[in-house]
Amino acid sequence: MARTTPTYTPFGKYALAMIVSLTLLISDVNYQTFSSTRGSVQATGIYGQLIIDSAASNITKFNVIHKDKKALIKINKDLKNQLSILQNKVFLENKSTVLVSDLLNLQGEMMALSQAQETFIFEIASFGLKNYLCCSSHSLYLKNPQKLKVSANLPVANGNSFIGQTSSTDINLIKVILFSDTDHILPVKINNFFCNAKGAGKPLLISCKAIRNPEFLKIRNNDPVFTSGLGGVFPKNISIGRVININNSISNESKVTIALDASPLESNYFGVLVNL
Amino acid sequence: MKLSHHFIIFITIFAGFWMDKLIWGFDVREYILFADNIPYLIETSIGLLIFCYWVYAMPEKLHSSAALIQGLIIDLCFGNAIGFHMLFFVSISYIIHVYVFRFRIFSYLQLIIFFGIASVFYLACKYLIFFPTNYSYLLLIFSFFVNAAAWLPIYFGMRSFRRKFIK
Repeated sequence: MARTTPTYTPFGKYALAMIVSLTLLISDVNYQTFSSTRGSVQATGIYGQLIIDSAASNITKFNVIHKDKKALIKINKDLKNQLSILQNKVFLENKSTVLVSDLLNLQGEMMALSQAQETFIFEIASFGLKNYLCCSSHSLYLKNPQKLKVSANLPVANGNSFIGQTSSTDINLIKVILFSDTDHILPVKINNFFCNAKGAGKPLLISCKAIRNPEFLKIRNNDPVFTSGLGGVFPKNISIGRVININNSISNESKVTIALDASPLESNYFGVLVNL
Repeated sequence: MKLSHHFIIFITIFAGFWMDKLIWGFDVREYILFADNIPYLIETSIGLLIFCYWVYAMPEKLHSSAALIQGLIIDLCFGNAIGFHMLFFVSISYIIHVYVFRFRIFSYLQLIIFFGIASVFYLACKYLIFFPTNYSYLLLIFSFFVNAAAWLPIYFGMRSFRRKFIK
């Protein structure tokens, strides 16, 4: 015997729910209506993950310490203490030297990259590596514990060159959209040819489609690619990559694929240029 | 139905989506030699299948409003845009409601095929809307087999869970 009896399913309620959800979907996909709400929720998630990670590492450390045998600790106590003091000293000295020199180098290179009046250095909070390696959406989050006012559309560099631009600020995290994101468009210059390069959705690749003209025909593989400065976000004449492929198979149009110089995976600290 | 039951149901759906995210993050190619360069071909839809199970098991208690609210929270926590999971949950909920008594006389194989196709349709829409450059038929084919195979464990697992916690 059936557990329930067949009942009429009212289509009206479902149709209304479908219309509401479709409206929300279209407004969010086309106009990013709820991006700040989603950003806040996702930032809260990242914070939660960071807190859980640190708690887990503390618990692991705690367990490791308590698993050591007491007798062995007694015997080796003096030796261990001396050794740990020495190791800590060396480690801290090395770490502080490396960190300070890295930050100084980064600061110097950032100032050389443009005539920015101010450069903020931020540590990375989260990187969507899986999305970066597989899919179209390429972004990372930077920690902003001092709650500095960082607006959208500011250039972000990793010391070698620019890697993307700020997108939004959620709680204490700054979202950075990378050049290789399919939603990102970067005006570039190759020799005297100008075009808008769109992210290819693949690591370190951008591409631009353009109608073939005399300037375009001069482009060769390995030609350097510079920012044109026409977007108003990045300063002009900054080297960002090289031409790796020219596809002329489309009639009247050609596609130039550009390999970027700066990989966002190689740095833990990123600089944001303010007041260009 | 009690509010606590709605909460328990949502927790299982949330756990399903969380598992999808974990499985997605676990890249099996790292452990296979020469597999680094092949495209990623498997994506699970455990969260969606768990939602389908609840509607299939208790159609008289889960209606459009529940699907709408659950979809909204899943969109906020896991989605790329508000409305995607809402729309999918409401649509699949309506289809299951309409055909639920027909599904009850289906064999397990027929159910596996139906829910496998539903999950592949969900993945296809997700990739077409959010990651069109990464859309791949191979991914859909492999994911169909994986999600179809996942239906029976989810069905029996969730049924024992329901009998234990929701009476």
